[in-house]
Amino acid sequence: MTLMMKQELINKSSFTCFCNHLFKLGVFLSLLTLGGCNSHLVGMFAPKGLIAHQEHKLFFDTLALMMIVVIPVIIMSITFVYHYQVSHRIRDYKPNWSHSYFLESLWWSIPCVIILILAIMTWKKTHELDPYHKIIGIQGKPMLVQAIALPWKWLFIYPEEGIATVNYLEIPVGVQVEYWITTDNVPMSAFFVPQLGSQIYTMAGMRTRLHLIADEVGTYDGMNTQFNGDGFSDMHFETHVVEPAEMQRWVSEVKKSSNYLTDDAYKELLNPTVGDKPKYFSKPVPELFNNVIMLYMNSSGAVHPRSNQLKFEKE
Amino acid sequence: MLEKLLFGNLTLDAIPLHVPILMGTFAVVALGAISVLLLITIMGKWKYLWNEWICSVDHKKIGIMYLILAMVMMLRGFSDAVLMRSQQALAAGHAAGYLPPEHYDQIFSAHGVIMIFFVAMPFMFALLNMVLPLQIGARDVAYPYLNSISFWLTFVGAMLCNASLFIGNFARAGWLAYPPLSELYYSPDVGVDYYIWCLQIAGVGTLLAGINFIVTIFKMRCPGMTLMKMPIFVWSALCAMILVALAFPVLTVTLGLLSLDRLFDMHFFTDFAGGNPMLYINLIWVWGHPEVYILVLPAFGVFSEVVATFSKKKLFGYTTMVWAMAIITLLSFIVWLHHFFTMGAGADVNAFFGIATMIIAIPTGVKVFNWLFTMYKGRITLSTPMLWVIAFFTTFAIGGMTGVMMSVPPIDFQVHNSLFLIAHFHNVIIGGVIFGYFAGLIYWFPKVFGFRLDEFWGKLSFACWIIGFYLAFMPLYILGLSGVMRRINHYSDTMYQPYFIVAAVGAAFIGVGVLFQIIQLIVSIKNRKALRDVTGDPWNGRTLEWSISSPAPLYNFAVIPTVSEIDQFWLDKEKHNLPNIHDIHYQPIHYPKNTPIGFIASLFAGLAGFAIIWHMWIPGVVGFVGMIAVLIARTFMTDIDYYIPAETVKETELAHFKEVANAR
Repeated sequence: MTLMMKQELINKSSFTCFCNHLFKLGVFLSLLTLGGCNSHLVGMFAPKGLIAHQEHKLFFDTLALMMIVVIPVIIMSITFVYHYQVSHRIRDYKPNWSHSYFLESLWWSIPCVIILILAIMTWKKTHELDPYHKIIGIQGKPMLVQAIALPWKWLFIYPEEGIATVNYLEIPVGVQVEYWITTDNVPMSAFFVPQLGSQIYTMAGMRTRLHLIADEVGTYDGMNTQFNGDGFSDMHFETHVVEPAEMQRWVSEVKKSSNYLTDDAYKELLNPTVGDKPKYFSKPVPELFNNVIMLYMNSSGAVHPRSNQLKFEKE
Repeated sequence: MLEKLLFGNLTLDAIPLHVPILMGTFAVVALGAISVLLLITIMGKWKYLWNEWICSVDHKKIGIMYLILAMVMMLRGFSDAVLMRSQQALAAGHAAGYLPPEHYDQIFSAHGVIMIFFVAMPFMFALLNMVLPLQIGARDVAYPYLNSISFWLTFVGAMLCNASLFIGNFARAGWLAYPPLSELYYSPDVGVDYYIWCLQIAGVGTLLAGINFIVTIFKMRCPGMTLMKMPIFVWSALCAMILVALAFPVLTVTLGLLSLDRLFDMHFFTDFAGGNPMLYINLIWVWGHPEVYILVLPAFGVFSEVVATFSKKKLFGYTTMVWAMAIITLLSFIVWLHHFFTMGAGADVNAFFGIATMIIAIPTGVKVFNWLFTMYKGRITLSTPMLWVIAFFTTFAIGGMTGVMMSVPPIDFQVHNSLFLIAHFHNVIIGGVIFGYFAGLIYWFPKVFGFRLDEFWGKLSFACWIIGFYLAFMPLYILGLSGVMRRINHYSDTMYQPYFIVAAVGAAFIGVGVLFQIIQLIVSIKNRKALRDVTGDPWNGRTLEWSISSPAPLYNFAVIPTVSEIDQFWLDKEKHNLPNIHDIHYQPIHYPKNTPIGFIASLFAGLAGFAIIWHMWIPGVVGFVGMIAVLIARTFMTDIDYYIPAETVKETELAHFKEVANAR
């Protein structure tokens, strides 16, 4: 058994490589043919951060491992059906042969071994890539960004820098960022920048957390993945990954702005809108993120804490 | 005040006169309904319809009614799919498509609800009803009258769901109506109430049917048929029905709590005042994950029967198959959390549920290999049921593979809620469940209707379905990996559009496949004489249902068979050991009388449901009390059974034998 496992592990690594390339090639070709010259790889095909890279690799490793079973099944199903057709008059017909200890143990044990390998990988990787924990192998204190899902836009608060943005996330390249995430006046949503890695739900009265890092400068699409009402499809934001120095310049620029994120400005943001352009604020209300969570945690009334906000006007 | 109590929130404004698509649909539906009613009247068939169908407690007829319900609802669910596919094919870049979000959101919610609850579930119960009692040598299910109630409750649930098209609106919260979106604050209209009550009513019907079949399997098997000698389809049904009995009460309670939130301002699942939406999401998946195994296990049973029959070979590894299904049944209850790894649970919890999920792949893989080796050294005939099975192998292998991939939490963090997930579950539900049910339908069609389905149109439709399926869902895998989410109404990056167009073309192919299936049915009915199944055993079958005439007589078996082996009928044929038709001693057969109670009680249940949706309290009380009263009244009825005279049985049987002799 151990020999088989080893053999499989050896097969796996080269096979993974092969599969990976084959899959990419296929996808790339189809993108080229279908999308014309403007096409570029996005999402999971073009990871731009350590977490995304690892998830990308895990994806193709798992794919390769599964192929050990899937490919024989497909080949057998086609060859058996072709070969044993009545019209082919195969002499070898065993109508009552229906049991074999050897064969049945074989296909109980091979999947068991594969799943055992996969289970070990899963246990290890799930712990390594736990979104709540600091990214393994990255030094330095994470930068903090607080994200609040609003109807239907994203508010990002940079508490240490003293600025806030709407539908615009700027982060420095190569620096670990810790996200604190919650929701206000919109149903459960989810924060996701596919090219940077993991997504996580956002829930009212709760704080979810996520650690991500970008390793390449660029602009990436960020979005809500959890359906949360009429404006769902437009709940995207731009993620700008820039050099730390440029980030500094941008922060001091925004800090000079007289567009303060006051309580009133925040109340305004709580009203439902769709497809908001990026907005930049300085001096966000202190402890805004925690206050939003506590508002829901402490509410005991019969009406929703935000019931005096405007409702979405249908066109 | 009285008006409020009578009509609640229901006003004429609830009828969507300003939405042309809906009014057009309404016109078509109304015209169709009127012409059907007229046709029945002209042909003078009202009495026949009432006595022979609506009041029927015969499992075969109830099966046929389940089938009709599933087929009609499939047309609606499929129309929803076409609307979604065309909307997404159009709405790229600055184009907004033709469906505004408030309409589009109802369509995808209704599509999921209909396809699972009102297509797949009735389709499964259709097969179970049409076949299961025959396979175990029984004359009916354990509780024929309960069977009638089950069907009519499901029917009423489906009609309530359809009513939301023209009176008010349906839910806009997805097929599982996650709170807080489904709570009153975010969804103040009646949509979610329609969702809750159509599922509550149909769900109770399903639970009752599940109990009925469990008892049938345990108590109604013919002499000699021990559990390990049951046909494998019966085993698959037993596993699925145990899941029904354990999972559906969870659904009932979950939806009940949600409706308490909405009706009485309670806070089980709200996002404020102490409610916890994640509780709902856990509970709904405690039901929801077993639900997919409820659907797929009977399909596994069908594959096992079909593959053995059309390979003319005993099913490989019967015992292994049974244990594999038992393990799947058990495991399906401890994997629900994989639907929301992104909730923010710790790595230990996520890893546990991820690993539990991938373990299910082991017994499932074993089953696939057993099927493959049933074909090995067999003699395979490529009839239409077998074609569906062959397509199933590849399709299900791909779907299973992507399923295992998503069970790894870090991978799920990337593809959760994306079109990759949508592609995956259509891959297994269409490739596993629907292909299986189609195979089963074509396979058992002659047993129920007395004639086979046309092979030519069947194969043509199969080809369209397969091409359509791959075109429609393979692009979604790539889109999902590119970061395109489910349930989007439009997207700004036009790069995705070609993929959506290919998917829409795939849907069109499936549409042609559905059209060919309808043609197949019409052609087969037209040629029913030529396609007549005289012997009752058109495929050279292995199990007891093929030992009786097609269509099966009212009482199924003139003499209850005795078995001593798996596939007894096949062995008897091999050894020319069939009972001598001259030796049969006919006896009167005890049989339940038809009753309208199931139908009437369900109508009251429907009234109660509709009334609660609109807060019409007087009709609500009338409906609820009426339902209970009718059910209690039935318990006082004594004239509920009769004997089919031995003479009638003898005549029917002799007529069948004569027909067989003439055909030879």
